Amino acid sequence: MQEKVEAQNILSMNSVEVLYDNVMLAIKGVSVQVPKGEMIALLGSNGAGKSTTLKAISGLLKAERGRISRGEITFQGTDITEALAQKRVEMGICHVIEGRRVFEHLTPDENLTAAAPRGMSRSTLNAEKDKIYAYFPRLAERKNSQAGYLSGGEQQMLAIGRALVTQPKLLMLDEPSLGLAPFLVEEIFGILQKINKDEGLSVLLVEQNALAALEIVSQGYLIENGRVVMHGTAEALKSNSDIQEFYLGGGETDFHNVKHYSRRKRWLS
Amino acid sequence: MDWVFLSELAINGALTGLLYSLFAIGLVLIYKASSVPNLAQGGLTMVGAYVVLALARDVGLPLWLAIPLAAVVMFGLGFGIERVALRRLAGRPVVMILMLTLGLDIFLRGTTLAIWGGTSRSMELGVSYDPLFLGDIFISRIHLVGAGVALALFVGFMLFFQTRTGIKLRAIADDYMASWSVGISVERGVGLSWALASVVAVAAGVIWGEIQGVDQALSLLLLKGLTVAVLGGLDSILGAVIAGIILGVVENVGADFLDPLVGGGSRELIVAAVLILTVMIRPHGLFGRHDIERV
Repeated sequence: MQEKVEAQNILSMNSVEVLYDNVMLAIKGVSVQVPKGEMIALLGSNGAGKSTTLKAISGLLKAERGRISRGEITFQGTDITEALAQKRVEMGICHVIEGRRVFEHLTPDENLTAAAPRGMSRSTLNAEKDKIYAYFPRLAERKNSQAGYLSGGEQQMLAIGRALVTQPKLLMLDEPSLGLAPFLVEEIFGILQKINKDEGLSVLLVEQNALAALEIVSQGYLIENGRVVMHGTAEALKSNSDIQEFYLGGGETDFHNVKHYSRRKRWLS
Repeated sequence: MDWVFLSELAINGALTGLLYSLFAIGLVLIYKASSVPNLAQGGLTMVGAYVVLALARDVGLPLWLAIPLAAVVMFGLGFGIERVALRRLAGRPVVMILMLTLGLDIFLRGTTLAIWGGTSRSMELGVSYDPLFLGDIFISRIHLVGAGVALALFVGFMLFFQTRTGIKLRAIADDYMASWSVGISVERGVGLSWALASVVAVAAGVIWGEIQGVDQALSLLLLKGLTVAVLGGLDSILGAVIAGIILGVVENVGADFLDPLVGGGSRELIVAAVLILTVMIRPHGLFGRHDIERV
């Protein structure tokens, strides 16, 4: 029974601790499971440790002088705790880092080419590109302009498209909605959902915009101060009154009756 | 005004300038990938020339074989430098890497001095020194050959940067972190750029070695090469070519006007003025990329 559960999780992260510069403990024993083919959200406020969690999984910690000091991460049953970032991309983990970070001086088309795995044939690459342009028609229109001059939404689409070229099995996105207009967030999340359905791609989504995230994921984890403080289905989280108050906003509309002193993040203490 | 004489100065200046470009292309290749002006490019150029001579004289190979073989050796050396020295510095302040390249330059100069001594050796490419006349204008053949090599490398690299590997190198130049995130090996990309710059150094070493002899003074080409690279924008190969031509012409024509006034030696002054003014007035050079700011 236990084994069956393991097999269903494409990613399993167990009690992972991350140290930056050998002194700063950024996450303190985070456990997250991503079931195969599902979309999972990591929610929480600024500096809670969401981005660090993603970097621990993608191996990008090393570039910021961080390391996993405890715990283990397995991907499709293989221990990847110590694997190089490049190796993890080859295995099928791709991380769309925060702030879009497209290759600004390249065209969108070249951005996609740059991410092509080694040994990918030209025809496979072109097929991948066509597929990505079909998901993001706006990118197709601007594929030969300079990526640095695309709009914020287009850059986010390009960052996601660029990640898709690596043919991931698990796509991780760090704050894809940051600084985007609500209708764009809706458009991008809709496309993510479609890719998830069409290709069975597992998605781990980090969001501060809990409202938008909980609409498309099946489960969510709430991270605060480097710990998982809540975990449940999207439905359960949406109806939780604390979540409504602190992360969804608008839980109470009558501001005269809001008793601020009585409501605090109780789960933190 | 003697227009024939002036155009002779200009044309020969442009040809010499392209030889500076030949050197500067190596600087640009490394700057593109590491954002560091490689202060060891002069040392690499000198080593490139010495390796060609070692293969041609000491081993006895014909030059047409010794030059490509030296290119292969230097390609390996470039990769080696990244592997042994630079990889440890990844993520450190740029000034540390800059100091490393300076140290490398001193090391290379010392090594060649220890192995081959300080006497100037000649390259003997076999290019004729008979004057070549274009109408009334006298042109140096070796400069013409060198300019041709510079232009060929320029075209070659423009094409290379459109290939998949070239695009990956440009991506690395844009954003290390984003490159890692999609599985591009930044380390190997930087290594490749050093390897390619070392191959360029062989070409520059052969041509300049033929012109001024092979000794430690070859590494001083760095000063003019750096001026050209900065004027061109440090990360633009097209910039390096055009800036080379500009510097060559300005230097040659300007020196002819100024030398009688100051009594000689104005060449160096012109180069210095170009470098200083570029940094002051247009820090990103003629074709350097500015960081894109969307409004």
